[in-house]
Amino acid sequence: MVEIGQFSLVLAFALSLVQSVAPALGARLSDERLMAVGRPAAIAGFAFTALAFAILLWAHVVSDFSVLNVWENSHSLKPMLYKVTGAWGSHEGSMLLWVLILTLFGMMVALFGANLPDTLKANVIAVQGWIGAAFFLFILTTSNPFTRLDPAPIEGQDLNPVLQDVGLAVHPPLLYLGYVGFSVCFSFAVAALIDGRIDAAWARWVRPWTLAAWLFLTGGITMGSYWAYYELGWGGFWFWDPVENASFMPWLAGTALLHSALVMEKRAALKIWTVLLAILTFSLSLLGTFLVRSGVLTSVHAFATDPGRGIFILCILAFFIGGSLALFAWRAGSLAPGGLFQPVSREGALVLNNLFLTTAAATVLVGTLYPLLVEAIGADKISVGAPFFNLTFGPVILPLICVVPFGPLLAWKRGDLAAVAQRLAAAFAAALVVVLSILLFVDKSAVFAALGCGLAVWLVFGALTDLWVKAGFGAQPAAIAARRLAGLPMSMFGTTAAHMGLGLTLLGIVSTVAFQQERIVTLKPGEATEVGGYTLRYEGLTPAKGANYDEQRGTFAILRADGRAAGSVMSSKRLYTTRQMPTTEAGIRTMGFSQLYVSLGDETDDGGIVVRAWWKPLVTLIWLGGLVMMAGGVLSLCDRRLRVGAPARRRVRAAQAAGEAAG
Amino acid sequence: MFFWTVAALLTLAASLAVLAPLARRAPAVAAASDRDLDVYRDQLAEVDRDVSRALIGMDEAEQARAEIGRRILKLNASRRSTAGAAGWARAVGAAAVLAIPVLSWGLYGVLGSPDLPSQPLEARLSKQPAESSPDELIARAERALRANPGDGRGWDVLAPVYRRVGRANEAVFAYRNAIRLLGDSAPRWAGLGEALAEQSGGTVSADARAAFEKALSLDPQDAQARFFMNVAAAQEKRYDDAIAGWNGLAATLPAGSEWQQASQRAMALAMQRKAAEEGGGPATGPTTEDVAAADQMTDGERGEMIEAMVAALDERLRTQPDDPEGWKRLVRSYIVLGKTDAARDALARGSKALGDPAKADELVRFARSFGLDATE
Repeated sequence: MVEIGQFSLVLAFALSLVQSVAPALGARLSDERLMAVGRPAAIAGFAFTALAFAILLWAHVVSDFSVLNVWENSHSLKPMLYKVTGAWGSHEGSMLLWVLILTLFGMMVALFGANLPDTLKANVIAVQGWIGAAFFLFILTTSNPFTRLDPAPIEGQDLNPVLQDVGLAVHPPLLYLGYVGFSVCFSFAVAALIDGRIDAAWARWVRPWTLAAWLFLTGGITMGSYWAYYELGWGGFWFWDPVENASFMPWLAGTALLHSALVMEKRAALKIWTVLLAILTFSLSLLGTFLVRSGVLTSVHAFATDPGRGIFILCILAFFIGGSLALFAWRAGSLAPGGLFQPVSREGALVLNNLFLTTAAATVLVGTLYPLLVEAIGADKISVGAPFFNLTFGPVILPLICVVPFGPLLAWKRGDLAAVAQRLAAAFAAALVVVLSILLFVDKSAVFAALGCGLAVWLVFGALTDLWVKAGFGAQPAAIAARRLAGLPMSMFGTTAAHMGLGLTLLGIVSTVAFQQERIVTLKPGEATEVGGYTLRYEGLTPAKGANYDEQRGTFAILRADGRAAGSVMSSKRLYTTRQMPTTEAGIRTMGFSQLYVSLGDETDDGGIVVRAWWKPLVTLIWLGGLVMMAGGVLSLCDRRLRVGAPARRRVRAAQAAGEAAG
Repeated sequence: MFFWTVAALLTLAASLAVLAPLARRAPAVAAASDRDLDVYRDQLAEVDRDVSRALIGMDEAEQARAEIGRRILKLNASRRSTAGAAGWARAVGAAAVLAIPVLSWGLYGVLGSPDLPSQPLEARLSKQPAESSPDELIARAERALRANPGDGRGWDVLAPVYRRVGRANEAVFAYRNAIRLLGDSAPRWAGLGEALAEQSGGTVSADARAAFEKALSLDPQDAQARFFMNVAAAQEKRYDDAIAGWNGLAATLPAGSEWQQASQRAMALAMQRKAAEEGGGPATGPTTEDVAAADQMTDGERGEMIEAMVAALDERLRTQPDDPEGWKRLVRSYIVLGKTDAARDALARGSKALGDPAKADELVRFARSFGLDATE
């Protein structure tokens, strides 16, 4: 069984090589039959990768310790969920998931690309094949998940306890769907460069793929942030950790790509820029893969380091990034440039968005790579943390957030800034009210916090204004406006939701950073501490036993200010027996959108225990905002305008015409 | 056989997938410009939809239509030639189809282990006990004990097995359970003591000592407990007590039994250690590293190492004979190794070589304390 998995993986590699050579040569030689090889090769490539992945999964589920990867990352007593998720909890398994998703996307291009121009389709599939072949080779030579052990040990070494969490079931797959989703945009860009022309279908195709990848990446980052928040026990939601940045940079670039693709689709402008952005976005995704797996970084995400792997990925990185940029430099001149446009217009606003977002991505890139470069040339080990990013990323992103509500309200080609400002007056008034009430009723000195909250409210109401205006509320009777609202294209709801989500996340961040309360105290059973208007009474430690760990559970009763009980919260200290590794499980109680966060520290000699408790107002909005953004992406993706290419009716007619022409 | 059949079928499927489009007649395709036209027509329809929803005004719609119209006019209607390098294409196609079996079987030959079957844990644990490896037997016993943790006999059997394979933590746990469920017995307490000692890296800790004392209170003759009480003495540098104790233990046990042999080896080591500490310098005896290494060795290796060290000492004394302490160590080493003749020979050579009668007398007296006379 296991060997069949190994064999499937080898077959998938062979297929990816065929996929990378045959269709590209076919396109070059104008041979339809060679071009047609891409489709079955991509489909079969996915099928064999899926078979290999399924067998690795099976080996984990049945605890087959004759597989090195299972032995290193599993334990027979591990709960079933973690046996399954453990299959991608290691470097080898996660790489297999990576190529599985890559081949999945390759197959989807092959399946749904029936109405793409043939040479474009063949080249796109071939470029997907190159990426696949490179990573299959990487897996087979440096990170084979099917390496065997003989004789097989009887018990595994267990999975890193930090990873034994539901988060592992969701975070990596979502993140990889995002990272790898951008590979399709990349393939389209490279295919256009190879072809020397950008077809009309190009933009229509790139946008939904960008949207899908962006949607998953948003979900992956959101989920990762929440996971770090509750699992690492520090109560922080974003650490500007290089690995987090590695996922944030493609997100920023992908967001820019999403907006520039819109201009390209609607106005046939910004073509060359969009191609470049597509290349850069996937390059940043690859950079993330390199940073995590090369051993350059040490973090929760860094897998066991092996210089051979790092060099291999660096070669892949150099080949794809360098190669595509060289191709861009060589061929971009031959692409027909798009039209010109007025600065005050929807497209002008989208260009502004692109400028800010790419600058922000560049800022993060500098902050992430600079310490690595300094260390690499042998100078000091420096660390670039939150202060750097607050000073550089903040000033870039804040103006952008201020002007977000204007964009969707501006008309294409010629916008009227004054009219738009007038329409946004209500949203501005709402923001002002929030700022003033925070200053008056919450904290007189919290000027920046008040402004931040006001900005968030401005975003939310600004986004709603867009729908309000487009439906014609105010200008027409409410009944007609409501009917028009229902008839608006889904993508408009998508835009509103995504911008609103951004506002909610901002509100959560500002409120948590500015108004959270922290207590670090030593408590004995029966003693209490006060945080965020609640009293936490420590009830004591009770030992308990999990499937593969022992734990000490600390229970806290929650009392309101008036003394009424409001439930309890439990934080525990676990010891995972196989790895002898202690972890802390934070106790979290959600009240409305806010959370009470309790984390146990060391025990003291006199029977007390160090307790860290936080009151985090509106903290859940950070991640709920992410979910709302995702919902926006889904809504946009549902829009019929994005159903790829031309309607089916036309396709049939075109095929008939072509048939007649050929016959 | 099953694997090779499946592998062959998979290869066949992959090759056919690549072959199918090559074998087919060239599909009829629309030129790229036709596809573009479809897209533009759809964009025109979209403008109409937007107008009907009143999302854009008539002027904007007209402008948009004109712009799309201009794009349609720009379309390059020229069709690409489908004729061309057909020969080349056929060669590439053939290579692509061939690449699948050649590459996959070649690579698998390097990477795979076709003879190694899958080994799901469940299947391994339900094998016949006779076919199982020691690890598998332990895992089976563990599983039974997880289901029925009150099975004292199970713990009792498993505990020494754990200790022997070096899993000290589990051994301690198992001994404690066995004692709790089955009651006190000298072997259980002594076993617990040894497991505790192993847990603390080979030193007899206070816990371990208490366990051995408990075992001796139940059975004063328990060999294991007596042995380790001497180890404890040696660790406290009471070498003479330890050596005497081991000597007594070895005398009461049948020759060749486990603890008798262990006692003799321990005695030898303790003597060397004592000598090393009395002699001082690192060149005069086994270093702590050597002894630590000796602890790690098998019996055979350990014996060889000790003999090698004794031989080296003998050699040195032949060239530098004026070393009373050295002669004492050599004599004692031969006695411990059971080479009485060699010991007597060393004693004779030593007393002659030392020259100084006082030193020679001391050496003879030292030898006599071990029951060795200079001459018969």
